[in-house]
Amino acid sequence: MDLLSNLALGLATAGAPENIFYCFLGVLLGTLVGVLPGLGPTATTAMLLPITFVLPPTPALIMLAGIYYGAQYGGSTTAILINLPGESSSAVTSIDGYQMARQGRAGQALAAAAIGSFFAGTVATFVIAILAPPLTDIALKFGPPEYFSLVVLGLVCSVALAHGSVLKAIAMIVLGLMLGLVGTDIYTGAPRFTLDRLELADGINFVAVAAGVFGIAEILRNMEGEKTREPIVTKVLSLMPTREDFKRMVGPILRGTALGSALGVLPGGGAILASFASYTLEKKISPRQSEFGKGAIEGVAGPESANNAGAQTSFIPMLTLGIPANPVMALMIGAMIIQGIVPGPNVAREQPELFWGIIASMWLGNLMLVILNLPLIGIWVRLLRVPYHTLFPAIIAFASIGVYSVNSNAFDLYAIALFGIVGWLLLKLDCEPAPLLLGFVLGPLLEEHLRRAMILSRGDPTIFINFSERPISATLLTLSAIALVIVFLPNVARKRKEVFVEED
Amino acid sequence: MRKLFALALGAAIFATPAFAQYPERAITMVVPFAAGGPTDTVTRLVAESMSKELGQQIVVENVGGAGGTLGAGKVAQAAPDGYTLLMHHIGMSTAPTLYRKLAFNPLEAFEYVGLVTEVPMVIVAKPGFEPADMKSLVEYVKANKDKVNYANAGIGAASHLCGMLFMSAIDTRVTTVPYKGTGPALTDLMGGQVDFMCDQTTNTTNQIKEGKIKAYATTTAKRLDALPDVPTAEESGYNDLTFGIWHGVYAPKGTPKEAIDKLSAALQKALKDPNVIERFASLGTAPVAEDQATPAAHEAKLKAEIARWKPVIEAAGEFAD
Amino acid sequence: MTANRKDLVCGLVFIVIGLLFALGTRDLDMGTATRMGPGYFPIVLAGLLILVGAIIAVRALGKPAGESFGEVPWRAFFLIIPALVFFGFAVRQVGLMPAVFIVALASSFSSTKMTVPLALTLSAVLACFCALVFVVGLGLPIQLFGPWVRFW
Repeated sequence: MDLLSNLALGLATAGAPENIFYCFLGVLLGTLVGVLPGLGPTATTAMLLPITFVLPPTPALIMLAGIYYGAQYGGSTTAILINLPGESSSAVTSIDGYQMARQGRAGQALAAAAIGSFFAGTVATFVIAILAPPLTDIALKFGPPEYFSLVVLGLVCSVALAHGSVLKAIAMIVLGLMLGLVGTDIYTGAPRFTLDRLELADGINFVAVAAGVFGIAEILRNMEGEKTREPIVTKVLSLMPTREDFKRMVGPILRGTALGSALGVLPGGGAILASFASYTLEKKISPRQSEFGKGAIEGVAGPESANNAGAQTSFIPMLTLGIPANPVMALMIGAMIIQGIVPGPNVAREQPELFWGIIASMWLGNLMLVILNLPLIGIWVRLLRVPYHTLFPAIIAFASIGVYSVNSNAFDLYAIALFGIVGWLLLKLDCEPAPLLLGFVLGPLLEEHLRRAMILSRGDPTIFINFSERPISATLLTLSAIALVIVFLPNVARKRKEVFVEED
Repeated sequence: MRKLFALALGAAIFATPAFAQYPERAITMVVPFAAGGPTDTVTRLVAESMSKELGQQIVVENVGGAGGTLGAGKVAQAAPDGYTLLMHHIGMSTAPTLYRKLAFNPLEAFEYVGLVTEVPMVIVAKPGFEPADMKSLVEYVKANKDKVNYANAGIGAASHLCGMLFMSAIDTRVTTVPYKGTGPALTDLMGGQVDFMCDQTTNTTNQIKEGKIKAYATTTAKRLDALPDVPTAEESGYNDLTFGIWHGVYAPKGTPKEAIDKLSAALQKALKDPNVIERFASLGTAPVAEDQATPAAHEAKLKAEIARWKPVIEAAGEFAD
Repeated sequence: MTANRKDLVCGLVFIVIGLLFALGTRDLDMGTATRMGPGYFPIVLAGLLILVGAIIAVRALGKPAGESFGEVPWRAFFLIIPALVFFGFAVRQVGLMPAVFIVALASSFSSTKMTVPLALTLSAVLACFCALVFVVGLGLPIQLFGPWVRFW
């Protein structure tokens, strides 16, 4: 069979001792740099990219893929340990992961993330090997109206991220959407809300917002009433998940993998939605809904699997079309060009060793990630035993350099400071930051696709709901409407219960 | 002893006779775009080869933002000591018109080291687009100007400039659909959501070869080796459409001539490096001729290009601020 | 009349932010539904934010006051926020090591449990660590010591 011989070729390439070594090195470096607060996968990959230039093409790209997985896992680690997500998808992980860490269950959260990622990575590798061409055709059917409807669905679902007031969650999403609009309007070039600063022309830096509203705000809150407060982490009980934990992880990992594999294929926006679509799904179907937001292991296992599967299948547009689905993929393409390979549909045919070698190395990279990180969990968790007042200055120092390193822009530091204050204020008002961050990421996409669809339809809004011409878009919007009802239903039910209680 | 050491160090820095030993430490070359993009790639290739020649490392620093004007502005304000350089492309010549509040003047803020390369453009369309060749494309666009959609990668992008030039050449305005970057624009082109666009060979050659998009004309004077079947715009009778995304190396105004000369010589050497030539070829481009990699040629090119783009951009009425 | 203080303030904060954004769109073109201008989407969102804020505020009325805001960590505010601003402003001028040292030193004193020797040690260790990792290891183009602190 063709597939098997291809995979065998790939494994033979990736399995060469030299390549295994570079894969391991990549995963190790990616993890170590990625766990520094303030350095998300994009920044980490960009910083480590030049190291791979000295290598021949195949080991270089294998190492780069390793760096990417490592960086992603490193970002989840900081999200869980210190509530500082490095990218939008780990913002979801930090909701329940950080709560688990505070209850002394950081080990379990990290293990759930590692195991979920490995499983998802394995499945997604096969998805790429078997389904890349047909999935590409589906991705190409996604035009502006379809993306708009997909983002709407995502926004509706993201309300479920909040475990408090639904209204406040909606307000936070809208606020996030607005913050996402800061910068130059791509359609007209008009600067919006940039306060006449050129530094804001490309919008507010994501890492600055995340580090501010999550990391710095959390530190400020921890400084309140320090003397009377219990230490943050009470006691680390055991590191490994129990049988019960495993049982609770299986379903979310399977569903997360499926969601992530499917959404990751869509360039520009798909993979972002994967992790919180998974969170929403798990929260809705779980019998332990009330535990979500307070340290439910499902809330870590599902989104992490979805995230990793999506990260992996986002290679599909790059491998089949030569088009980057996200900034990290753009870096990969740059690296390929520097290595003398112009990425595109022809790579699979002209350089099958390289092509299948990279695919096989994805699986290998995920394996390395598990092998490397399961033992490392002990070390990460021990970090939490460092007294908080010694830990937090380090977080601030790393976050400063991390954010600065991305664009060498002083303004990003001012942004962290500002968003730290805003984040603290919002925390005080019982508003949760995760929906804000998702709104921030999705806002530009929502507007961009809406306006583009309207231009293409010459102003006809039925383009979104026309079942015969745009069946995908119409279906997605119908799903959004249903989801909206579901989101508000439990709220209505709870309200009624409250009413009854008061009447008693 | 320590005093002596400090003295020696001070002497090394201040008493060096007029840059004879330049460069004595690593040089930073700023790219005003994100890592991994085409300009970044060009820079890293050239920087690596130049540093071999200069005997000092050239560190590439990405200072992205605002169409390259943030990075350029930063270098304009840097110390003119020869240790901060800038690699910029055609955007340097369109910025003064596109950005009406530009913080620096491209003609006054820099010393010129030399031109590097000129990446050609190709006019492409969605697969199965009706017109068969460049001539019928123009006719089709003119006849259906309310229906066709031209995609570009955002204000100031190569595809935006090419679109403005195309529309002014055929004297017809069509609906433009801006995207955030070339990737999404090309995806929608392949998916048939938009009709046609024009972009650098770096981004399009492979897709054309694979039949994922249809090519109509290149914006070069001669046909490209990579795409021998695609005619030039000039062959089809559109002389105004000949242009490329040219790149050049800059230093802050006031950088000593000795340093500039050394850098120019190193650049010329780098552009003859077989590795650089080979990598450029895979990008669909080639290094400029030796007489172009000089300060004089660079300055002349910049002046000519600023003059060329000003009326085109003003006629289109699209500004970046 | 009583009101849930947190919710009331929260609603008002959103209303104010919405108004500020609405104010920011006054120079922006609204465009048409076909070709929406840069102001179209923001003004819709600003309106939505004001509306949601208003609902939150109105629903807070008549409810019990609820818990208080608690303590404001002034000390942390006055140390951490300026430290971040300082880093952005001065890292080019003083270089990476002094910038990290000062940021870590300043912010560490926002904890009352911090002692002077510990803060100094911690900041020095962090400065060296960051120099090793970011400049030596990752080749970040920032000088270790910038022009302001180079006396030779």
